[in-house]
Amino acid sequence: VSAPGDVLIVDDDSDLLEVAELLLRGAGYATRTAHNGREALTAVAAGMPALILLDMLMPVMDGSQFAQEFRAKNGRAAFIVVVTAAEHARARCGALEVDGVLAKPFDARELLQIVARLAGPPT
Amino acid sequence: MENVDHPAAFAAGSACRGGIDVGRLRDDPQPAHRMALTVAGAFVCVGLAWVVLTDIVLYHAIHDRVLIARLETMKGWAFVGLAGSFLYVVTLRSASRLARVWRLTAAVVESIADGVLVLGRERTITHANPAAVRMLGCGLDRLIGMDAEEFSRRFHVSYLDGSVVPPEAYISQRVFDEGGRLHYKVKLQPLGGGDLVISATAAGVRSSPDEPTLCVVSVMHDITDSENLVRLRDQLFTGAAHCLKTPVAVIKANAQALLRTVGPRHRGVVSALNRQCDRIDRLVQNLMVLARARSRSLELHPEPVDLEQLVERIAGEPLWSHRHEVVVDALGRAPCVRADEERIALILRNVLYEACRLSPAQSRVLVYTKLEGNWGEVGVRYRPLPWHEQATAVYNEYDDVGIGRSVTDTIVKAHGGSSHTVVAGSHVTIYFQLPAQRGEQP
Repeated sequence: VSAPGDVLIVDDDSDLLEVAELLLRGAGYATRTAHNGREALTAVAAGMPALILLDMLMPVMDGSQFAQEFRAKNGRAAFIVVVTAAEHARARCGALEVDGVLAKPFDARELLQIVARLAGPPT
Repeated sequence: MENVDHPAAFAAGSACRGGIDVGRLRDDPQPAHRMALTVAGAFVCVGLAWVVLTDIVLYHAIHDRVLIARLETMKGWAFVGLAGSFLYVVTLRSASRLARVWRLTAAVVESIADGVLVLGRERTITHANPAAVRMLGCGLDRLIGMDAEEFSRRFHVSYLDGSVVPPEAYISQRVFDEGGRLHYKVKLQPLGGGDLVISATAAGVRSSPDEPTLCVVSVMHDITDSENLVRLRDQLFTGAAHCLKTPVAVIKANAQALLRTVGPRHRGVVSALNRQCDRIDRLVQNLMVLARARSRSLELHPEPVDLEQLVERIAGEPLWSHRHEVVVDALGRAPCVRADEERIALILRNVLYEACRLSPAQSRVLVYTKLEGNWGEVGVRYRPLPWHEQATAVYNEYDDVGIGRSVTDTIVKAHGGSSHTVVAGSHVTIYFQLPAQRGEQP
């Protein structure tokens, strides 16, 4: 069972992780971080988040591999929003069963709006 | 001599030290007729002169009929001897010229770094120079007699986008029917392995311009290295542009986080950081579009787009609204187009940036949308800086505005539309038109 207001941020860039945490914590969300898909799977096993903010290009296990494994194991237990610098991100993520796409560089307001919509109210 | 209409058959049209004016030979449409007429004309003139002059001398100087008869016989033998000598000299000179042209042609073809294939009437290869043999990695004996089908099987000729070139579409085959000089860039796989990118030309050889093609000369210029460099440059552009997005995202997110904590004194500084991140993001997107357009890999993902909604969203972004009064005006029915929204948003940002850059601060910039016949039109109208001020902000193809214009043009054309700039009175209007979508709404 996912915890409302719990957001898992997955990105190989530590600075981006920090600032995303800063913005979300400032808005009252509980956050956890992972640097790649493999770490994210471990984090999910420890506790199901309400929402996963997922980068695509990462070492060890990339975003699409993670999304496929996550959906295969956990179905739609959590929402996934892809945060990517790729062009036409929505079209590229079409086959991944994701719930939203946020293009880099994103606006803080956009980030908070999508998190509020999918992760529920802050804890 | 045949009329050779391919420049590679002769050295670049310049006079040769050996006394052959190659340029004249190339430009002369009927060299064989001219040469034959010259020889025949000279023979007739000399023969007539000989007969008339020797008869006049003979009949004035000698009155003995028997002696005259003997001398006429001797005169006939002398004519035969002289005519034979004359024909020998003329033929020797012509044959020598032909031999020199042949040797010159052979030397050019054999020594040139480009591959040369000659195809005969049967449309099969009749000759290949050493460069062609080297490029194709195939012995001369195996190339001779090879037709287009076999060439296709052995060398897998494809266009640069990877699609196979059917044998009947080879320019060396088409030129037999179409004439002229044909050109394309293709990729082929030599027998030794690896890919070869060539720029190929083909031209026919005919007795005269109206006659059917006797043979075809095809020249293959190896551009593998230069094409690879272009591809690498485009990959570098795309890769670098993509990699820039994450640091920009970090800076922008930090600036926005700061905005929530700093006092009014520093708010302007942080807002500037935010705006510059948006500017870098637009530049990065422009570079990516340019690189993709150059490498012919620009993708469009068309979907129904409500231009009015798009304009409202983009016009409200802080990059322009902090220094200008940006006003949106929907003129009449809101047009819907089938377009790539991400790309159209980029070109609208480019046009707005140009308008703000080239107009005075705090001035009004009007953005409008309208349905113009079968076109959905988006325009930006602004009052430009006086020319001397604009000169300092003038764009070129490598600066922000110039790149933006180039990208706008590329994307609009890729959608089948057009972009324009109109100066009317004291205002400039930049607008673009896209095919309107009827019936389907986003």
